[in-house]
Amino acid sequence: MFLHLNPQSGEPVYRQMVRQLKQRIATGQLADGQQLPSVRDLSAELHVNPLTVAKAYQFLERDGLVEFRRGQGTFVAADRDRFSKAQQQKLIAPAVAQVVSEALHLGLSVGQLQQLIRQYYAKQQS
Amino acid sequence: MQNNNPENIIEALNVNRYFGAGNLALGNFTVSVPRGGVYGFLGRNGAGKTTAIKIIAGLLRPDFGTVRVLGKDPFTFTPADRQRVGYMSEKQILPVNYRVGALVKFCAAFYPRWHHELVAQLLGKFNISCQRKIGQLSQGTQRQVAFILALAQRPELLILDEPAATLDVVARREFLDEILRLLRDADGGTTVFISSHILSDIERIADHIGIIAGGQLIVSEPLDDLAESVKKIRFHSFNNGAANFAYPGAYRTISGRDEVLVTARVRDPLTVAQCAQRHGASYEIQDLNLEDIFYEISTR
Repeated sequence: MFLHLNPQSGEPVYRQMVRQLKQRIATGQLADGQQLPSVRDLSAELHVNPLTVAKAYQFLERDGLVEFRRGQGTFVAADRDRFSKAQQQKLIAPAVAQVVSEALHLGLSVGQLQQLIRQYYAKQQS
Repeated sequence: MQNNNPENIIEALNVNRYFGAGNLALGNFTVSVPRGGVYGFLGRNGAGKTTAIKIIAGLLRPDFGTVRVLGKDPFTFTPADRQRVGYMSEKQILPVNYRVGALVKFCAAFYPRWHHELVAQLLGKFNISCQRKIGQLSQGTQRQVAFILALAQRPELLILDEPAATLDVVARREFLDEILRLLRDADGGTTVFISSHILSDIERIADHIGIIAGGQLIVSEPLDDLAESVKKIRFHSFNNGAANFAYPGAYRTISGRDEVLVTARVRDPLTVAQCAQRHGASYEIQDLNLEDIFYEISTR
């Protein structure tokens, strides 16, 4: 499994992993019930400390996105808890803040920004 | 003495070490290194790094204070204890007249857990012939040989003092991969204690960071905690000017014309928001990588 990790970005590597794995689960690139690589294998493949991979998996498990099955490994949770409205908004807030400040900087109106967001939303869903 | 926590593979308590009269290399140096993982040990030149490492490796005696490695004073290590600890010094000197193959054979005799296949595999990978004399090898290649010898012991604790300084980029990456492989093979049973000025290497493999300055350990914590809490904050758009601005506990404060740049521990972003509010300012928080954090902490 290829992930793009940059240890020098200032964002802890386990967070980079959690973010990218969440995105792959959300977009279905990792299917419900699919097995993830073992900590050992993924650490070898990505050239990172096995403790880092284990930590990323623990955070995903805590958020109900993956499940550990004893003696079998780590799997994308089939019946994932959907986030509550409040949780969803909290998770998306930093990304929205970033986009809005960029839009202000570029002089985009709210309407123009909404238009763009609708386009991208439609593209991702199709 | 209560510093015998079996969770910690290295424990040093109030270690002092002088060189000559009044020349203090370590003053009340205290460190606990948890078992399993990679502990990155950082410090500027002259901060006491190599002295601390030599004391931990049992090559120097502290003038005061106690050291426990694998639960024992490293100065009283038996040969059996020594087999559990690998050490690669800053200036490794291998016997120049030995051929690589003969040196490997010589070392292997001392270690019951010697990993013969690994040695053969790594010599092949690094393209080092057993027939070559050590003295004919480049500095970097001699370093690789020393590293292979340290790895082949499959030690419980591997102490590396500035191991990669003379290696090129490719050799360094291979070297980091071998450290990670050692961790994977031992399945949590191995600890690597490594000092390096190449912080991008440390950032790639370490999970714990210690920073030494002026002979004392001033930081010792998980790398993730450090990266998640040491931040740069830019305060701007002050309602009433930035003249009286101060951030409590800041490592560094740089004042610009209408803005202030602060480096500080941010345990809770709310603290930053409250500070900004008190001064009628806006702010943004930036992440710092390990090199930035090291610079900010060790030069304050």
